[in-house]
Formats: sequence, C-alpha cells, structure tokens
Amino acid sequence: MKRSLATPPGATRAEPEGFLVELDRFQGPLHLLLHLIRQQDIDIFDIPIHLITRQFLEAVEGIHAEDLDSAGEFLEMAATLVRIKAQMVLPRPLEEEDEDPRAELVRRLLEYEQIQEITSRLERSEAERARMRGKGYVEDRPRPSAQEVPLETTWEEVMEAAMGVSLPELMDREHRVTPRTVSMEEKAVLILNHLQGEDGVEFRHLLAPFADKMHGVMTFLAGLELSRRRRIHLRQAQPFHELWLYAREGEGIEEEARWEADLDPPSDIPTDSPDPDEDTLPDPDEDILEEQR
Amino acid sequence: MNAQQIVEAVLFASDAPLRADEIARADESLDEDMVEVALEELKAFYLESERAFGLVELAEGYQILTRPVFAGYLDRFDTVPRPSRLSGPALEALAIIAYRQPIGRLEVEYIRGVGSSGVIRTLQDRGMVEVVGRGEGLGRPLLYGTTGRFLEHFGFQSLEDLPRPEDLPVVLRDRSTAILPEDDEEDPGDPNQLELAAEGS
Repeated sequence: MKRSLATPPGATRAEPEGFLVELDRFQGPLHLLLHLIRQQDIDIFDIPIHLITRQFLEAVEGIHAEDLDSAGEFLEMAATLVRIKAQMVLPRPLEEEDEDPRAELVRRLLEYEQIQEITSRLERSEAERARMRGKGYVEDRPRPSAQEVPLETTWEEVMEAAMGVSLPELMDREHRVTPRTVSMEEKAVLILNHLQGEDGVEFRHLLAPFADKMHGVMTFLAGLELSRRRRIHLRQAQPFHELWLYAREGEGIEEEARWEADLDPPSDIPTDSPDPDEDTLPDPDEDILEEQR
Repeated sequence: MNAQQIVEAVLFASDAPLRADEIARADESLDEDMVEVALEELKAFYLESERAFGLVELAEGYQILTRPVFAGYLDRFDTVPRPSRLSGPALEALAIIAYRQPIGRLEVEYIRGVGSSGVIRTLQDRGMVEVVGRGEGLGRPLLYGTTGRFLEHFGFQSLEDLPRPEDLPVVLRDRSTAILPEDDEEDPGDPNQLELAAEGS
C-alpha cells in the first residue's frame, strides 16, 4: 500500500490481463469488484479470491492519500478481500454450518448487481417520463430592456443592414467539435522542464513566447494540476501579484514518464482540493498556497 | 358548466398530478365518482381528437401532459420547463431506498459500499425521499422512504409500477429493519447527532 501514497487518483494502469481500470468510473468498491468479475466471466459463486484480490489491490494502488474520503471505502474492501483470502487458506473445521468465507461478499455483490439493474431501469423510466411535459414554474430570465437607448437611424441604414444579412439556416442543432490547439499535457511538460534547471519559475515567464490567451489558460490549468499532484508548489506574495511555480522536493522521477497518460482527462480537478485561488488569499505573508493535508 | 369542463379546467391549470377526490373539491356539485367518469371521458376524448396532450395517470393522480413525440419541439423553448435528471449515485441510492423502504442510511451505505449521506440529502432536497420513521437500532436512526414526487418524476402511478424483483436476475434480501412510526416533526439538528452516534458504534 505504500505506493498508493505516491500516485495520483484516477490513474489508469494496465492490469496483467491487459485491460484498464479507471477508478473514477466506479461508484465504489463493489462496483469495481463486480466489474472485475464480470469482465473476466468469472463465476460469481466461485470467485478465485487470490486473483481478484490481486487485481483489486492493483487498481486501488492508484488512490491518492488526499482522497482518503473515497479511498477509505476501497481500502476497506481491500482489507476484506485479504481477510477472506487468509480464511480460505487456513484449514477450516469441517462442520456443515460453517459458511464459505466468500458467502457474504457474494451476497453483497449479487445484491449490488441487482441494484445496478434497477438503477438503469429507473434511468430509463426517468428519460421516458421526461419526454412528457406539463406546466410548471420556469424561472424568469432577465430580458434586455429595449427602452434605454434611443434608436437613431434612417431607413437607408436599415435597408443596407438588412441586405447584408444572410438568412439563417433553419434551426439545426449542431454539435461542433473543435480541436484543442494548446494541450495541458504540453504545458505540464513545459513547467516541469523549466523546473529541472531552476528552483522556481515565474508564471509570466512561461507565457512570454506565446501570444494566444489559450496558452495562459492551459499553463495555469497545468500549474493547478501539477500542484494537486504534489509535483510543484504555487506561491504568490499577495493577490494579483506574480505567480511563482516551485519544484517540490523529494518528487519521484519515475512519475515523469507517466505524464501523458495521467493528465487525461484534465477536468477532474476536485472543487475541494487545496488548489490556490489567488482572489481569496487571506494573508499575503504566509505561504498559504501550500497544500495543508 | 358540466363536470367534465370543471375537471378539465382544474387539470389544465395544475402543475402537479391531482387525485380524483382532490379534483372533486372544486365544486359542491361534484363527487369522486363523477370526477372518475369525467376523467375517463376526457382521456378518451383527447385520444380520439388527437390532441398533442393527454390525460396521464401519475403518482396516484392525473395530470395533463404533452405526448412524448413532441418533446423535441418543446426542447427549443426556454419557457417550457425541462425536467431535470438525477445523477448516477443519486439514482443508485434512490433505487435502494425505493425497494427497501423504510431504510436507514447505514443500510444504504452497506449495499452501495460507499458513504451516502450527501446523496441522501440531495434526494431529500429534490423531494424524492423523506424521513418516514425511526429504526430501533442504536441512536434510533432515521428511516427513509420515497415520496409522491418520486412517482411523478419517474412516471409511476404507484410503487407497484417499479420493476418487480422477481423479474430481475437476482432476488433481493429480506428487509430486516424494524420501523417505529414517528408522529412528531423531525428536529433538524437531530439527524447529525444520530449520524455521529451511529458512526461511533
């Protein structure tokens, strides 16, 4: 379990059988366990507990210490699995009423599987019901007032404007996919590269070569992400001052190689993480941007 | 003014399902049976005349709702209320509460394998579940059950409309929670204390 403290949450890692487990996808340990069992067509009434325990532990290794809220539940299940595994190995008295150590777990898994089935049926009912509409309260939206600016124009101007308008297409709902021109991975690598030679780097310095605003946004996001992953510190003397990025001491070099894989998806920054928010810094002198946990 | 018109007016203006006996309160000349008759007539009439809406039986009552085929047109209007959906975890907790009610938080958490106080609070805020009593266990934990709003949200007429356990691949365990009905209001400060007491066990 030692390594679980060093690797970030939601990390994807390959299992011996060659499929990926992303913990974020799972509602909880039972969900993950059921996934492992179903994915490999394992007979739920005869779970190879050593195999499942190993796979479960491997998947759980990715949990970050900061995530202890949800990690606790996974770790508890890991402990249960290890205990069952031990009970399986120990000789049992051959009395009939003695239950298979796995029995309770199997019951829970079956029950959970059924709840999942019910959940998906509820979801379908919900979607069906949502297609029938009744009256209801719709919140008032502010409408722009037309009276505030007196309109001064001539018919010629109106005519000219009207001729310049091309008729809009009929209301087509269209989903546009635009490529992200600047990637956060790229920026994370940029930050880390800068920090290899120096202790710290100014945020502004990282942006200097780029004109597009998107570079600033992605660099900032990469900074937050790196800070969340405890790779760097972010410091700022006081609100709206220059932001500094510092390398954290004692960081593992082995993590370097995993950057590409780990950074996706970039949107999983939890709202309650101790990420800095420069608008709400309480004390200018303190190193408030350091993570507390 | 005949009974059918009165029933229609009441349902037209209501934004939630109404039971026949509730509709009957609209006028002294009405009783529940008359309303039932009028409801059947209206339902058939809307269907025959191919109205875009129909009389739907919902949450043990009736409501006038547009027919599902029109959903796409309505989606283009901000002025038409759009039903909100529940999150995955909320649905999961709700499924457990619906089938095992009355049920306490700890039991929900045991079945899901994860902490559920936040998600239960969300369900309470959304009016999908409510406290229906107290268990006998340590600290007399709050027990939750589903509401009429729950039936409405999923288009069920009653809890009988839930998928039957025997139709599902696996049979649920017997419920084991004892319930003591509670007649006085719950004290908002109380649940937290109870939670703490239960967790300390």
